[in-house]
Amino acid sequence: MSSDRRSFLKRAGGVGLGGLAAGYGLGAAGAEARADESPARQAELVNAAELSATRGFDGVHQAGILTPAANFAAFVALDSIAGGAGELQTALQNLSSRARELTAGGAYAVSEYDAPPFDSGTLGPTIAPDGLTVTIAFGASLFDGRYGLAARRPAHLTAMRAFPHDELDPERTGGDLLIQLAAGHQDTVAHAVRELLKPVRGQLAPRWTVAGFQGAQRGPKPHSSRRNHFGFRDGTSNPDVTDPKVMERLVWAERGGGEPAWTADGTYQVVRAIRMHVEFWDRVGLHEQEEMIGRKRDTGAPLGGTEEFENPRFDLDPKGERIALDAHIRLANPRRPATIDQRILRRAWNYSEGFDSDAQLNVGLLFVAFNQDIGRQFVAIQERLNEEPMVDYVTPEGGGYFFAPAAARHPGDWVGSGLFA
Amino acid sequence: MNSRQALRKASAGGLAALATVAAVLLLAACGGGSEPEAHPISTVAAHPDIKITKIAGGRHSPQFEAKLAEEKTRNPGPASDLEPLPPSRFERPVAEYRAYSEDEARAVGIEVAKLRRALAAGDVAAAKRDWLAAYDHYLRLGAAYGALGKLDEEIDGNPGRLPGGAHDPEFTGLHRIEMGLWEGEAPARLLGPTDYLAAKVRRLRRVVGRVAIPPLVYATRAHEILEDAQRDMLSGVDAPWSGAGLRATDDSLAATDFVVRTLRPLLAGRDSTLEPAETELARLRVALERVRKEHGGAWPRTEALSEAQRERVDGALGSALERLAAIPGALEVVRTRPVPTIAAQAGRGR
Repeated sequence: MSSDRRSFLKRAGGVGLGGLAAGYGLGAAGAEARADESPARQAELVNAAELSATRGFDGVHQAGILTPAANFAAFVALDSIAGGAGELQTALQNLSSRARELTAGGAYAVSEYDAPPFDSGTLGPTIAPDGLTVTIAFGASLFDGRYGLAARRPAHLTAMRAFPHDELDPERTGGDLLIQLAAGHQDTVAHAVRELLKPVRGQLAPRWTVAGFQGAQRGPKPHSSRRNHFGFRDGTSNPDVTDPKVMERLVWAERGGGEPAWTADGTYQVVRAIRMHVEFWDRVGLHEQEEMIGRKRDTGAPLGGTEEFENPRFDLDPKGERIALDAHIRLANPRRPATIDQRILRRAWNYSEGFDSDAQLNVGLLFVAFNQDIGRQFVAIQERLNEEPMVDYVTPEGGGYFFAPAAARHPGDWVGSGLFA
Repeated sequence: MNSRQALRKASAGGLAALATVAAVLLLAACGGGSEPEAHPISTVAAHPDIKITKIAGGRHSPQFEAKLAEEKTRNPGPASDLEPLPPSRFERPVAEYRAYSEDEARAVGIEVAKLRRALAAGDVAAAKRDWLAAYDHYLRLGAAYGALGKLDEEIDGNPGRLPGGAHDPEFTGLHRIEMGLWEGEAPARLLGPTDYLAAKVRRLRRVVGRVAIPPLVYATRAHEILEDAQRDMLSGVDAPWSGAGLRATDDSLAATDFVVRTLRPLLAGRDSTLEPAETELARLRVALERVRKEHGGAWPRTEALSEAQRERVDGALGSALERLAAIPGALEVVRTRPVPTIAAQAGRGR
């Protein structure tokens, strides 16, 4: 997995994708906006650099997991209608193959003028990779009797059960497969969804999809967490993705134990589409909002603190004088020795899907958690959150539990190949 | 100073009102034709006696004050620098509400007893009427948002939270009986759930007058009862089989009316909260009654509302909620303890 924009640009110049960079007015060193450029030119260069970024596809771990959350995402859940294991394998190969092309970007040729074109063309004749990641995961239902995979089911993979305040809509829950697509721009994501479905129509039936977006980076710091529909920063207390030891402990599947060997370098993915009743929320006093969350809305600092990433120091506040004992941040991550292994790698996108039948905004959060063991981590946290005061303002309506296996190792490989080895 | 007080201090209400007065006068002077109507958020209506001395006594030039006021009106928050209320002021409203809720609980019990008799006689039509009456009185009690904890779930819980949904053996209470009645289940099979409900309602009658209701919780109830209606009742989520969302909204309105009435003495003279809220509640009542009339005098099922009817009801309810939401802020009570900082707690530990 490559994630360095500039090295891609340099490489792109040397491997025949030069046309791509040139198409955006870029030389090999063009990604860097220099101080003496006009603001308009700088903006142009930044946009070109963003569009040219590549996050890769092949490697050890799939892209889109440790990758910082891109501005736009879509989740597509599919059910397998493949007639047999062989047909399913072919579909997965096709999926990986097209995903690899889309994440790399590049020009495509029009071979037959009278034929439907190879690509929809919504991104123009040259596809900019735009940091696109395609992350493929499997649901528990894929491991039923249909494809002889029952014995290969990852040890902690089950269907997502309803928690006490859930109103799960079966039509937006579960699925044999989940594809997470994320990129810098909305059109890149929409294009990728459309292109990926094309080669697998006969084998993978669309079940549900949700598109999401991140709040723009509005500071005050480059790494300040983005805001959700409640106006609060989301995902502040995340484990360090640059520390492989931490990731081995919290994210990547355990080696040995009950896990089948093919799950190595994979991770469990929890997706929850959480409707947020924003009209109601907007009618709640700021003080009560902040008490429910445990943070200041403007800075994101824990109550009684000054800075977003400051330790909330629950140890100093055992009676909840500063941060209520049932505040979201305290229940989600109590920061006690016993809960260190419960931490999850948290991603989130906002979604916005029009109005409901009563003219209320149908908006919410696409909650995503990557973790090593759903029961030990996500479920343990969620059970603490069952009685948080915020439950009146949110309704989880969809999503599911999935297992995202290791990446395709090389361009001849495909995501999920280990399952059939 | 807590954050809410800080917000208050940041927006001096009188100035905002003054700016509105100025704007209205200006319009009138221009001979704009029709009488300009005061915006519901405007504090003018409730404060005709705004005193110019506030500006005269201000620290800035009139021009600067006017500019400040103009800026403030863009953020019509709980514009107030009112003194927080002593919690004792809530004793009487809460006592009145307790007596009211005991009456409603008693009425639920009477309807459930009638429901049982109708079921025993195999009279499904009568049982449906009795069920609706029991549901009405339970909602009129205004037990929104966990006020009664587990008991509320046992009486009025929805099956969505149960692993087996509507077919879960744990699914019981009002909505279990509702499902049976409207799905054609044999009346005799509903006797068990009705006996269970009757037992829970007996318990409700015992506890409802004794539930602790802190001042802020009571003030919050002024909008939360109808928030519940907006979220769960009009949408049809709460009573899907009977389709009773509209009458449920009407019941929630009755409960809200009662709560607001008890808070009247506390709200008098505190911002412009009471009058706009009562105006909007009256408009909601008119909107609901109009729909009922259009359906021949009976509450229609939620799904039977026309697009126009739904828009009117949603609009009136949303607007009422916006006004009601100002009530808790206007009734802020004295906070006994300031929130400590991390640094202060760390220092104390040393």
